[in-house]
Amino acid sequence: MLISYNWLKKYVSPLVVDAKEVAEKLKASTVEVENLQDQGELLQNIVIGKVTSEIKHPNADKLKLCKVDVGNEELQIVCGGSNVREGMLVAVAKVGAKVQWHGEDKLTELKPTKIRGEDSYGMICASTEIGLGELFPTKDEKEILDLTEKNYKIGLPIAEVLGLNDWVFEIDNKSLSNRGDLWGHYGMAREVAVLYSRDLQKYETKKITPGKDFKLEVEVVEPKLCSRYMAVAMSGIKVGPSPVWLQEKLMTLGHHPINNIVDITNYIMLDLGQPMHAFDATKVEEKISIRLAKIGEKIVALDKNEYELNEHDLVIADNKKALAIAGVMGGKVSSIDDGTTSIIFESANFNPISVRKTSTHLNLRSDSSVRFEKSLDPNMCEMALQKAVELVLECSPEAKVSSKVVDEKNFALTVGPIEIPFSIFEKKLGVIIPEKDIINIFERLGFVVKSKKANLSIIIPTWRAVKDISIAEDLVEEVARFFGYNNIASALPGLENKPPQINRLRNLEKNITSILVKELGYNEVYNYSFVGQDQINKLGDGIEKYLELDNPLSKERPFLRRNLLPNLLENVKNNIENYPVVKIFEIGKVFSTHQAGARVDNNGDILLPKQDTWLAALYAAKKDEAPYWQVRKALESIFAELHLAIEILPADKIQTWEHPTRLALVSTFGKTVGIICEINPLVSQGLGIEQRVGVLQINLITLSDLLENKKILSSYHPASGYPEVVRDLAFLVKKEVEHADILAVLNSADPLIAKVELFDVYEGVNIGEGYKSVGYGFIFSDPERTLTTVEVDLIMKKIIILLEKQFKAEMR
Amino acid sequence: MQSKLEQLKSEALLALKSVKDKAQLEELENKFFGRKNGELTNIMKGLKDLADDARKVVGQVANDVKIEIENALQSKKKELSQADWQANLEKERLDTTQPVLPKNERGHFHPNTIVQNDLEELFTSMGFMTLDGSELESDYYNFSALNIPETHPARDMQDTFYVKGHGVDSNVPWVMRTQTSAMQVRAMQKYGAPVRAIVPGKCFRNEATDVRHEHTFYQLEGFVVGENITFAHLKGVLETVAKHLYGEETQVRLRPKYYPFVEPGVNGEVTCFLCKGEGCRVCKNTGWLEIFGAGMIHPNVLKEGNIDSTKNQGFAFGFGLTRLVMLKYGIEDIRHLESGDLKFLKQF
Repeated sequence: MLISYNWLKKYVSPLVVDAKEVAEKLKASTVEVENLQDQGELLQNIVIGKVTSEIKHPNADKLKLCKVDVGNEELQIVCGGSNVREGMLVAVAKVGAKVQWHGEDKLTELKPTKIRGEDSYGMICASTEIGLGELFPTKDEKEILDLTEKNYKIGLPIAEVLGLNDWVFEIDNKSLSNRGDLWGHYGMAREVAVLYSRDLQKYETKKITPGKDFKLEVEVVEPKLCSRYMAVAMSGIKVGPSPVWLQEKLMTLGHHPINNIVDITNYIMLDLGQPMHAFDATKVEEKISIRLAKIGEKIVALDKNEYELNEHDLVIADNKKALAIAGVMGGKVSSIDDGTTSIIFESANFNPISVRKTSTHLNLRSDSSVRFEKSLDPNMCEMALQKAVELVLECSPEAKVSSKVVDEKNFALTVGPIEIPFSIFEKKLGVIIPEKDIINIFERLGFVVKSKKANLSIIIPTWRAVKDISIAEDLVEEVARFFGYNNIASALPGLENKPPQINRLRNLEKNITSILVKELGYNEVYNYSFVGQDQINKLGDGIEKYLELDNPLSKERPFLRRNLLPNLLENVKNNIENYPVVKIFEIGKVFSTHQAGARVDNNGDILLPKQDTWLAALYAAKKDEAPYWQVRKALESIFAELHLAIEILPADKIQTWEHPTRLALVSTFGKTVGIICEINPLVSQGLGIEQRVGVLQINLITLSDLLENKKILSSYHPASGYPEVVRDLAFLVKKEVEHADILAVLNSADPLIAKVELFDVYEGVNIGEGYKSVGYGFIFSDPERTLTTVEVDLIMKKIIILLEKQFKAEMR
Repeated sequence: MQSKLEQLKSEALLALKSVKDKAQLEELENKFFGRKNGELTNIMKGLKDLADDARKVVGQVANDVKIEIENALQSKKKELSQADWQANLEKERLDTTQPVLPKNERGHFHPNTIVQNDLEELFTSMGFMTLDGSELESDYYNFSALNIPETHPARDMQDTFYVKGHGVDSNVPWVMRTQTSAMQVRAMQKYGAPVRAIVPGKCFRNEATDVRHEHTFYQLEGFVVGENITFAHLKGVLETVAKHLYGEETQVRLRPKYYPFVEPGVNGEVTCFLCKGEGCRVCKNTGWLEIFGAGMIHPNVLKEGNIDSTKNQGFAFGFGLTRLVMLKYGIEDIRHLESGDLKFLKQF
């Protein structure tokens, strides 16, 4: 929204302050001022001049050599204007002025120059060259601005003679969303008056003297959606251009003047913030009703577009047709045109939610709908209507009020009083503000304050009672923002100084992230929580297992991920072209369709879907045919850091994307916490990944719950004082024989075995097809004596027999 | 015999002086001390043939000579060895400008993780719990409990993602949380007052993406509720954070801003870390960066959290984590953050 500083000053006087300072103060206490434009800035060094002589340029047919009186001197200027003549009053851009050459976007600063051999000290301007094209439309581009008729004084700055000495504040609409009272100059002036402790001028209007010629009947069928409807008819109207002052005011704020009647409604809206509408009375048949539209009812609005309404849209209608979309836009059929002689003014208050819904579903936003959406004070309707009638009578002297003033009211505002202890301001803000300052702020804002001992009794002005002020805290805000947030000294809360409760999940996440990044060289990625049908299909998964958004931004990705893989695999595909090795991981939430999570509220037993946090780490490299081992390494590092034993279990079911023979469940304390596998090569190829992909997935919620509940026992034993005996054993077994089974046998072979560790696995040449060679290292020890070679030899023999018997092992 | 020994001694000491390298030294050593034909060895061997008295005297002399020559040999050996090392160390010169090969492998944290962890540590040191929340949230916790009425524009389909079957018009709508504030009331219901917590996390808004807008982004919410928690305390905490992020001289400026869940509500700016408030490209020549929203928690919100608002009050604030990340690293396009592109991620 735009606010004119001159317009504001009309209501706050005396106010001799720099507009920039006002903008800063408004920002600190009221609204966000996004920009402040000095209207005259672009017209500096451009003055009124009189052409005293004009002769043909000696070296150019289409140029003229002019002498121009600019008050304190006479300038020679070369001019190409088709209409330049002696005696003409013109706009002269002197050296240093900024002008816009025809066809160029940027402004050029004028310098003394020679044109075809003749000196030229400035430029005689066309309106378009100095940004006045709207005020003074030109017929052709060669035409310079002729101000002769205006009789301006020679030498005066053009900004001054045109009244373009204003500053325009550009206010962020969002910062006004709860302040319906600030959508016009008068409301904003009230804030400025408080900021500078000035008096706000009373908004004066004259009571309307009713007429009798026109029978104006209004029925509000939907009083809940229209809390007030005021209307009055006027006749003897002569539609024509508005007075210059009115046009200038509108143009300053970016509104195109249309005609006197429409301009007056716009002026009132900008002045008070109350949107108004004018109907051509002859185009309205009998009774006006404010009713809901019929399903499919159509109306052509003032923007000439046809809108199809629904049964929730409020319309202004006569007994035949809809005349306007209430609070949004008038209809074409009843609009004011040059032939209009009688009008009906509407000044009404419509339900903000209804207006917003209609404006949203029609995708039609207007200055009017924007204001009604914010909740306006119904009391303003009367001031606005009176002011409009007054202005029409002023601009169109033959006009007269021809009907009674209709006023259908259906509203009650809660204005209090709110009783608050005076101490509340200190209690909430942590600063002592003198009582007289507090009362002063309220009174200037229009509140009525009564002081009763330690309490204040405060009545809310109607324009603030509509929406934004209803409780004590709202009143605290009024004082705080005018006292100044920056005048409140900061302090640190004196809370009990105890360490916060530990978030185990976050600690686990941080720990794992740190190992993967620092120790193993993985890169952390963040992905969207959304996946697409194509991604799901390519995994061979079914979309019925996924929650879906009702209103996805991208139709391609409407589903909520149920595991981290789809997007991570896409990351692998996108990066593997650039990097020989891709090591990535993500920690994030996934969404379940069949398991329940947190409650939707505190009382009921309806539950949200379960949303577990998972880790997924992926490894793919150009030459690695078994990246399983790389993610296994990651698993081992993570579990070593957490002091957890890894238990590997066969998968109970195989997902479509999992490599069926390179897949295992990861378990600890007897509870499955994750999956380690390679991606089925058919699936990864389908995704466009030629390389094998290793994947480690761990459910961090399950794991952190385990860590919380299980006490990790220390594995410390005092070292034996007696020497250990170390032996190795290498043997052949069939490929299918698993390490875990061998290890179990070896570990329980003899009590003197302190440790067994696999150190080598070999398949290939020199080994029979279908066999592997494995090597295990043994440590023997006894805490109480030195072992003899003979007894260790005996145990080794026992082990060999066991291996031969259980696994058909062949010693090497 | 004695004179022979004396002669041997002076001969040996003289010869040692002209020794230039280890080979010569070895030769010399052999000449005198060789097991088979060493000159001194031979004399020592010959001692046994002398009469007892003479053997005693000569033996003493021979021993002294032996020790003297040995000492001289040792010191020559040391001298040669040092010279040797000098020469060898020079040959062992390494190119210290070269990095280790193969290249040291280290992964990279996502920039959001770096900033988030840093803030979590700061808040932990100030006694704040770190909480997680549901990303898919009920509209009750995301909106109603936060005093956001059913008619509020934020609830429109174009601002908020709803889940199919639990849409905006259903009895219990499910939304992708639009703000980490959604965790406020859950935390109040669980912990009561006093409570101090932060909630970092992923949020979602149904808006088209471009260089500056993302439908997925991160926030860090914080709140404190207690008997005497004031607006001044809010300022104190925010100033602490701002100084932690951007240095001791950083200033905080608060301006009124409307959020339904706080009253009074403010937005917060800090002096631009780059230009120190002078005005630059980063702060769009204002000298200030808007990085958080805050306010005193609305009594309706406390009420939903089962906290007696006549006894307790508190403040809440929210930082745009994603914005902090972009400012910290000068990231020009918000979409890089969730691109999974290693060319981007390997820079942090």
